[in-house]
Amino acid sequence: MAQFVQTLALGLLIGGVYALMASGLTLIFGVMRVINVAQGAFLVLSAFVTWWVWRATGIDPIALAALTTPLMFGLGWAFYRLVGARLRSAPPSMSVLLMFGVALLIEGLLNVTAGNRFRSATPGYFDESYTLGPISLPKAPLYGFLAALAVLAVFYAVLDHTWTGRAIRAWAQNPSGAALVGVSAVPTATLAFALGTASAGMGGSVLSVLVPFFPASHYEWIARILGIIVLGGLGSLPGALTGALILGLAESLTSVYVSPQWSILVFYGVIMAVLIVRPQGLFGTRVREDVAA
Amino acid sequence: MKWVVGVVAAALAVYPVLGIGTEYHLTVAVLCLLLAVQAVSWNILSGYAGYVSLGHSAFLGIGAYLGGIAAERLDINPLLAAPLGGVLAAGVAVAIGAVVLRSRGAAFVIVTIALLLTMQVLATNLPQLTHGNQGLAMPLPPWSRDTGNLPFYYLFLALLALTLAFSAWIRTRKLGSGLIAIREDEGKAAAIGIPTTRYKVTAYASGAFFTGVAGGIYGYFLSYISPTTMFAVLASVMVVLAALLGGRGSLYGPVVGAFVVAIGSEAATVYGGGSSSRLLLFGALLTGVVLFLPQGLLPGAAAWWRARHPRTVEYTDQEGALGRLPPVRASLASGSQAELLRISGVSKRFGGLVAVDGADLVVRRGTITGLIGPNGSGKTTLFNLVTGTLRADAGEITFEGRHIDRMPPWERCHLGLGRTFQTTRLFHGMSVLENVVAPLPDGRWRTAVRGGVTGAEARRARELLDFMGLGRFAAEPAGSLSYGQQKLVELAQILMLDTRLILLDEPAGGINPALVEHLKGVIRQLADQGVTFLLVEHNIPLVLDLCDPVVVFSQGRTIAEGPPGKIRDDPAVLEAYLGDPKAERKVERPC
Repeated sequence: MAQFVQTLALGLLIGGVYALMASGLTLIFGVMRVINVAQGAFLVLSAFVTWWVWRATGIDPIALAALTTPLMFGLGWAFYRLVGARLRSAPPSMSVLLMFGVALLIEGLLNVTAGNRFRSATPGYFDESYTLGPISLPKAPLYGFLAALAVLAVFYAVLDHTWTGRAIRAWAQNPSGAALVGVSAVPTATLAFALGTASAGMGGSVLSVLVPFFPASHYEWIARILGIIVLGGLGSLPGALTGALILGLAESLTSVYVSPQWSILVFYGVIMAVLIVRPQGLFGTRVREDVAA
Repeated sequence: MKWVVGVVAAALAVYPVLGIGTEYHLTVAVLCLLLAVQAVSWNILSGYAGYVSLGHSAFLGIGAYLGGIAAERLDINPLLAAPLGGVLAAGVAVAIGAVVLRSRGAAFVIVTIALLLTMQVLATNLPQLTHGNQGLAMPLPPWSRDTGNLPFYYLFLALLALTLAFSAWIRTRKLGSGLIAIREDEGKAAAIGIPTTRYKVTAYASGAFFTGVAGGIYGYFLSYISPTTMFAVLASVMVVLAALLGGRGSLYGPVVGAFVVAIGSEAATVYGGGSSSRLLLFGALLTGVVLFLPQGLLPGAAAWWRARHPRTVEYTDQEGALGRLPPVRASLASGSQAELLRISGVSKRFGGLVAVDGADLVVRRGTITGLIGPNGSGKTTLFNLVTGTLRADAGEITFEGRHIDRMPPWERCHLGLGRTFQTTRLFHGMSVLENVVAPLPDGRWRTAVRGGVTGAEARRARELLDFMGLGRFAAEPAGSLSYGQQKLVELAQILMLDTRLILLDEPAGGINPALVEHLKGVIRQLADQGVTFLLVEHNIPLVLDLCDPVVVFSQGRTIAEGPPGKIRDDPAVLEAYLGDPKAERKVERPC
């Protein structure tokens, strides 16, 4: 029983971190109408930056999110301004391929600069735990969870309660309609894309402490967060939260009660099953396809 | 073009026996051919129909592992098992495709990646079968060491020739033009009778088959297979890159791209110092091609050539067209029932908006039924429900007494239901003639493998185009036509089929008055021959002149029905269109 509760607690903690990563991906989907397959590479890039600064200066890796988040925000901003905006009229498959190319470039650059080895940031507390009765809460995932929660709260406050956030959501739903009522297209889309990559910045810093990573880890990470937003419904923010918690739990349970090597299959299995049975996911809506000609 | 292909094929055939190059060069050539087989087979679905797969090497790995496991367990030579690997790969493609390819959008590309990664995990985690990360060793080839990779070279060359021949064959069949139609406008393709799901699955499975066979040979060639080499994401990227660079959707583009990418990859490994430089090369190439050369090398060159050597085309042959009589379809089956189409209690909502609200409508055989109503009253949605673009939430629709509400659009089309669209939807990349012969009369396999533009069919298409005054445009891309001309081509498309009920969505919008008169004549003449029409139009004089009965739609349901004379004076109709006249008078009085 204690083991079960322990597994649930760990699953929830990791689910919170996933929620942050998945929110960024689903936001970018809302804006670009394509899966940003480079999101995993952005995560790993941020993890490497965190690891590198941590090793050089000894600053706490999770606190380094204060550095990586604006950094990735800037990177996303510049990227969308220079490249992404050019693709708005191209078919979605071309945008997917472009982002795939970006992911390969990042992986290649990390290979050259950091080497093809597993890394992990190990601050003093990385193997310590808080004990709560029979269960123990490891400190690193707990801090990561709290940090992710704080950023998520800010993220949602911006989207829900500011004019900019409403502009982003309006633009995601109907770009030409939003343009007609005064939402300027490119800056809004750029902002949404940059917010998406910023969440990868934050997520990457947390990731650097939680799991060992190497340049090619981005495939596994994009599969994880893709599974989450597919389950929740592409483009849906509440879906991303729910999907993250469900899959965080499912992953922990599988890795404890089945075997850690099968746990990643949970995500692939969910992706295939959901897209086959209910393509709009839990919270997604089907939009009418017949009018758009 | 033909002689270029011949020279290249001859050069490839004699290359190994000329004694130029070393054993290493031959190995690189084998890898080029392998990539070319994969790129050409990827192109059958992803190029022709536009559904990009990012996990194509899953099929290579499936073929290789089947060969390896068969060799170890059953002691079968991997080359004999290779066709079986192809069959297994095609089976997996059918199982996955049959469900995912039903829908459009982003789902397919995600599932292809997930499939590849799943296969990798399975190959790693099922060591009883695959030896997991240790990998599987293949038996050594029976031929002597001196022969080296020569047999593999010729095996791959033969497989490439087969794959290319198949791809070329499919392109000239109805199946191939159907796939192109799906890429251009899938909804329209379904509306003119193309069974889109089955075509896509067929294309996916045939591509998987050739890649699966290649996988069996490749595993034997490597003599050792492991999960990370066989189910590599990077290998899939090379396939996509090769097809994209050479020109996806073109026949030989993927082959050209494969040679460039495979040689580039080898050079990057040798001179660039390992796998990081390959990643950088592929990443840069992929982003570069998408941004700067999205159509690829061969189609890009062809477009450049066409721009340098333009052909001149004359204008619409309007006078000629107005003098012609419509070509008649020889047999128009006349059924017994007076009611051709019956819509009863049909509803459709989009979120909170009820677009069609318990609508009832009957279209009687031989009539030209007009459907009018204010914008947003649900006319087009009703059309979409009848033709199957949308599924109704409630109610039933019968056509000649048969329930059609659960049928996909193409089956309804095969029953004799044709439609045009409010905004024209032609396949812009195809020629006008190809557009007109695109509709499919039935869903049989025999029809799918019939030639794309064949004798009798092409003759009839030309007749119809002449009749529309567009005969001179037959070879032009449909996208270069004006809006009005496109409307006429769309009508010609519908007339290709043995259609019993034609749904016209605003046929007169954007057409000049002389042609509208012409169109009226066409509709009347076809009606005399037994074709029934249901017509949505805002041009009220046209409707009142042409249609009987006229049905008036408002807020998702019928509010009046009757002969045009009665509808003209119906107060309910006037109110729906012009607002309540009494209310207006009340406002006017105090002034």
